Amino acid sequence: MTQAEIKLCSLLLQEHFGEIVEKIGVHLIRTGSQPLRVIAHDTGTSLDQVKKALCVLIQHNLVIYQVHKRGVVEYEAQCSRVLRMLRYPRYIYTAKTLYSDTGELIVEELLLNGKMTMSAVVKKVADRLTETMEDGKTMDYAEVSNTFMRLADTHFVQRCPWVPATENSDPGPLPPAPILVISEKDMYLVPKLSLIGKGKRRRSSDEDATGEPKAKRTKHSTDNKEPIPDDGIYWQANLDRFHQHFRDQAIVSAVANRMDQTSSEIVRTMLRMSEITTPSAAPFTQPLSSNEIFRSLPVGYNISKQVLDQYLTLLADDPLEFVGKSGDSGGGMYVINLHKALGSLATATLESVVQERFGSRCARIFRLVLQKKHLEQKQVEDLAMIPAKEAKDMLYKMLSGNFISLQEIPKTPDHAPSRTFYLYTVNILSAARMLLHRCYKSIANLIERRQFETKENKRLLEKSQRVEAIIASMQATGAEEAQLQEIEEMITAPERQQLETLKRNVNKLDASEIQVDETIFLLESYIESTMKRQ
Amino acid sequence: MAGNKGRGRAAYTFNIEAVGFSRGEKLPDVALKPPPVFPDTDYKPVPLKAGEGEDYMLALKQELRETMKRMPYYIETPEEKQDIERYSKRYMKVYKEEWIPAGPKSEKAKDTSKGVSLTNTADVLKKIEELEKRGDGEKSDEENEEKEGGKEKSKEGDEEDDDDAAEQEEYDEEEQEEENDYINSYFEDGDDFGADSDDNMDEATY
Repeated sequence: MTQAEIKLCSLLLQEHFGEIVEKIGVHLIRTGSQPLRVIAHDTGTSLDQVKKALCVLIQHNLVIYQVHKRGVVEYEAQCSRVLRMLRYPRYIYTAKTLYSDTGELIVEELLLNGKMTMSAVVKKVADRLTETMEDGKTMDYAEVSNTFMRLADTHFVQRCPWVPATENSDPGPLPPAPILVISEKDMYLVPKLSLIGKGKRRRSSDEDATGEPKAKRTKHSTDNKEPIPDDGIYWQANLDRFHQHFRDQAIVSAVANRMDQTSSEIVRTMLRMSEITTPSAAPFTQPLSSNEIFRSLPVGYNISKQVLDQYLTLLADDPLEFVGKSGDSGGGMYVINLHKALGSLATATLESVVQERFGSRCARIFRLVLQKKHLEQKQVEDLAMIPAKEAKDMLYKMLSGNFISLQEIPKTPDHAPSRTFYLYTVNILSAARMLLHRCYKSIANLIERRQFETKENKRLLEKSQRVEAIIASMQATGAEEAQLQEIEEMITAPERQQLETLKRNVNKLDASEIQVDETIFLLESYIESTMKRQ
Repeated sequence: MAGNKGRGRAAYTFNIEAVGFSRGEKLPDVALKPPPVFPDTDYKPVPLKAGEGEDYMLALKQELRETMKRMPYYIETPEEKQDIERYSKRYMKVYKEEWIPAGPKSEKAKDTSKGVSLTNTADVLKKIEELEKRGDGEKSDEENEEKEGGKEKSKEGDEEDDDDAAEQEEYDEEEQEEENDYINSYFEDGDDFGADSDDNMDEATY
């Protein structure tokens, strides 16, 4: 794990889970697999706190445990999973676009809680939806269950591994840690539950925080006493499926930008047809015949078969090679080259970064070297039609930024510099890694800056929060307009200005984090796909 | 030696033209210190994407940040005492849900009729406690410590409220149900109960 990744993980853990969990988590990321006592000893925290922190981390799938020889249980942190926490808003928004508010809330609850049983999720989501509905209407459990099942069918949520039921009732000596298993076919099996009920609206007295007399409150729901029917069956969000969806989205929009709407629709149809059949790490999808594609096109699109064939031929001949032709049966068999598509997307990212950082002439040189693979200094000047001095300057700038690298080809065995060719080349994988590392650093910087801004204005923020709380309490107990006005004026105009500026800055920093994360996704997908093929 | 082109003159071991410099000796300066931390950029960054989706995700992100702080998974570091107690602090109490990862010992302690444990960290804690058994013999103390530690804030008085904690209810710690016959509203304020009596203390203290 690089220093930048560790720093980013530390910031994320601290923001979401507090200092103690952050300390334990970062220690585990830094040092790898460790048993419980060593963690407590090395971090200097009490055993009790370490246990609590580990529980939180395991609950959120950030730490896994393994039984090693001699019965020692070791805990290992998953750094890449911690970094996914940046992407939570994107997952939730995607669920919203696909399955509307119900789906959005289900995914949100699952992400916030790590693992949950289906009944718990359904109940909570129904309650939350009921809150937002008009008075008198409630959300039925059945509807939420339906959405949940649809999410499970499309693999957006999956079951967590569980302890297999042992045959003998007498457990004998318990293993030091339960061995969790999960099989492919069980991963998306929804248990047969009959969840009957409606969402409950929280009574207004429950929400009132204004020191009312502490009356005896009845329990929140009356069915607490029943045993939960699906105890032990926990669900988690399937992040890989979301990533697959993002990747498909990226490919479709790339095709739309390069060609036109219709071709992007065709590519989208092909991707949709291969969603479940193709494993996520495959370099290309299963071959689809042109007839199948024609039948599966969305209903609104009435293009004739010949036009479809023409589009497919055009897509297959495109130099970017998103779509490839793999055979002629069934009117032509076509595949989508996922690995090549990811490569093109990563390359486009690199090109755009070079352009925004160094200017469009540098970008021209960069694209030239990309295209020709290896070029000498002189050839670069000639082909790019840029004067020698400037070309040299730009090449060195890119070289020191590690976008371009030098390849030495010696003419003589003694590698004498005067008798060696020096060729400029772009190694996409290493440039992508470099850029990814930079992205991690950027997000860490953004988060630090946001925390700094918030801390600087802490006094002002607290004051405004207090004023709001006072106003709310006064409104509840019935106060005149004049009094409210007076309280509002406790915050002066320049202070209001400062608050506005702060809010704008924090919004900008947050939005930047989200967008840098999109770049991270593309680069990570490309690197992962390349590593899998090696 | 033949290689020296003249005293003091620089001689390169390689063909300088290959690297792109003419023999005119206008080499760039040697870098004496690391580049500046915030260099001026010639090209300003492109503005951020703005759109409905992006706005929604931004709002989501900020909400999630706030929500996470209120979840039971956010373990607070103990704060130092505030010197001035502010009036508005009473109205800004944050509701925190309770979360106890259940283990085999704490399950026995609970009544079976009351609620069931939340999460599957039953497995996790089972194993932690097995380890405890192996490690040292003082398991009962550790159990209690673990149970105490598992509760976010210490409960005042009652120990029988494990079941309350086990459910995902939200309630203020001071408003727990007591399992006796007294009307809860009899004593208004739990904080200063009995301590600040300004009456004449005529009663004898035993």
